[in-house]
Amino acid sequence: MFGYTVRRLVQMVFVLFALTLLIFALLKLMPGDPAKVMAGLGARIETIEAIRVKLGLDRPWPVQYWRLISGLFNGELEAMTYHKPVWTVILERLPATFELGAFALIIALVVSIPAGMLSAIYRNSVLDYTVTTVALMGISIPVFWLALMLMLVFGVILRVLPVSGRGTAIETVVGRWSFVTWDGFRHLIIPSVALASVQMAMNARLTRASMLEVLQQEYIKTARAKGLKERVVLVKHAFRNALAPVVTNVGMQVGTLVAGAVLTETTTAWPGIGRLMIEAISRRDQAVVFGLALFLAAIYMVSYIVVDLLYAYIDPRITYD
Amino acid sequence: MTERTEKGRVRLQTQDWVLSLILPGLGHISRGWWGKGLLFLGPVMLLGATLGLGVSKQRFAWLAGPPKYWVSTTIMLVLLFLLWTWALYDLWRMVRAEQEEQYVRGYWQMASRRFSKDPKGIVGLVIILLVVHVALFAPFLVRNDPIKMDLRNFLGRPSPLHPLGQDNFGRDVLDRIIYGSRVALGIGAVATILNMFLGGFLGLLGGYFRGMTDAVFMRLLEVVNSIPFLVLVLLILSVWREGGILSLMVILGIFGLQPARIIRSEVLSVREQDYVLSAKSVGVSTWRIIMKYVLPNAIASLLVVTTMSIGVNIIVVAGLSFLGFGVRPPIPSWGAMLQEAQEYMRTAWWMAVYPGLCIIITVFGFNILGDSLRDVLDPRLK
Repeated sequence: MFGYTVRRLVQMVFVLFALTLLIFALLKLMPGDPAKVMAGLGARIETIEAIRVKLGLDRPWPVQYWRLISGLFNGELEAMTYHKPVWTVILERLPATFELGAFALIIALVVSIPAGMLSAIYRNSVLDYTVTTVALMGISIPVFWLALMLMLVFGVILRVLPVSGRGTAIETVVGRWSFVTWDGFRHLIIPSVALASVQMAMNARLTRASMLEVLQQEYIKTARAKGLKERVVLVKHAFRNALAPVVTNVGMQVGTLVAGAVLTETTTAWPGIGRLMIEAISRRDQAVVFGLALFLAAIYMVSYIVVDLLYAYIDPRITYD
Repeated sequence: MTERTEKGRVRLQTQDWVLSLILPGLGHISRGWWGKGLLFLGPVMLLGATLGLGVSKQRFAWLAGPPKYWVSTTIMLVLLFLLWTWALYDLWRMVRAEQEEQYVRGYWQMASRRFSKDPKGIVGLVIILLVVHVALFAPFLVRNDPIKMDLRNFLGRPSPLHPLGQDNFGRDVLDRIIYGSRVALGIGAVATILNMFLGGFLGLLGGYFRGMTDAVFMRLLEVVNSIPFLVLVLLILSVWREGGILSLMVILGIFGLQPARIIRSEVLSVREQDYVLSAKSVGVSTWRIIMKYVLPNAIASLLVVTTMSIGVNIIVVAGLSFLGFGVRPPIPSWGAMLQEAQEYMRTAWWMAVYPGLCIIITVFGFNILGDSLRDVLDPRLK
């Protein structure tokens, strides 16, 4: 297992290297000049030129590439338009996205797992049809539209929740968190519910499918035959086994969460890394885009590896060596 | 098994084909086949009504002066012609089938029989056909030019004249939604078809031959998949100064590689089957094995994936346009409409509600159709 993990990590480094080339190429192909954005409207040509030199944009491409890569590793890479090191910019925004994603995931799992279970147990009942239809609706709703609608209903019409922004956040050693304050928590509700919608739908469908499969297994028949209560059969025998694929799949959904976060954060003005991505792209801040894209890719790939390892841990029949 | 009870000649009576020529479906109904008859009559009525609208607005190509709406007009005429001939042919076939009983049913026949009993799939198909209808005949259905502004009535409330209200430039929301369906379906369908061919091709060859091509392809796939899809597409789209419909089609078409994955895994399992081995051992050529044995087995899952990924692509395009990276204004697209609506949330809810509902309904249609196709075509898939 150790050997496998090492092999995967080495592979990941190669993929990330290829990705740096791809992203760098895209950044260089993008129209627009970060120096011009930085200098602002009506800046003199000499000013723009000076900024270009300062950012190193006048150097040959390999030099620029090396600057970005080495800067990311020793942490000295300055963001082009934020006047801070790239890592500071990213890490400042990370807690906001982290709490948003975590809340969304909790909401999604708390709703979807019971819903999926019940709809599998009462197969072909009204409940089942409701759950499957709502779940199909769930994967058809764009998250940003759902966020808009929640804002409209709860923020504008009913006026019970704040429309957008992050609210009060408390500074701690490990970043600024807003869910700890009442105001911040209220701000968190709309974006996390919107973000949760897709996960909710996907997990409900997955739980239902996996539960249905488990319920057809021989050991369930045996458990029933030896006279166990239906409750015990369902909870102890079926539930646990049905949960395995759902749990491992949560790791696979990191990508959907990130994509959803880009949209939800932009809609609700939530200051996380999703919105940072859009901001940095439109400001042509090559350093931030480069760092953030690699950061996201690394998270994404590590979560995939963790999923694979978790899978082997849950199901001892699987070995990778 | 195929024993014929009676070797009768095809007897299509005069009244049958005359009725069928008057209106497709009438012939079926007069013979008592109500279901089939209504199946023809419904679309004819719908097309006829649309045609009437087009003519009354003088947007039917030859009435509009210089050929302006010729695409819609041509498609309308072709569809009507097809409906007429198909109804006649179908009537002839059904009459014949009544005389010579048929016993053997192929895979597709069984699948379509299962499909016709699945309300989910039928609802999905009807939704999709209606949206396609709206997209094809948009010029006949709208009242005004969707780009024409009416600044005196900006943010007009929904009224009999503008059922879904007016936007911040006084443009009619309904008209813009109608034209927006073209963008959504156009990009969704073209991108999906493109990556179905590309992915199908690569997946088929990679899965069958393995070796270098497959390894290179899988590594590429890994790099592309190592970053959230939306972020990658955002980066690629920023390279184009004008987002534009064409670049969206191409980018989504090339980088949406899920079909390739699925085909590849399907092919990998098929190529180990005994019938492929036996075909090989009697010397069937590789090309023939791929076309005759491997592809037909992979096509069911390809069809399901295609249907579902059109829906996904519509959502992605809407999301990109919402972020300002996809279809740019003034071209009416559902995502861009939502972006404009965001600023006017407090005053003009209708700008945000209706385009979103259209996205949901359309994508829902594709999703339930895909779900039902999966049940119908390949019960093994989950």
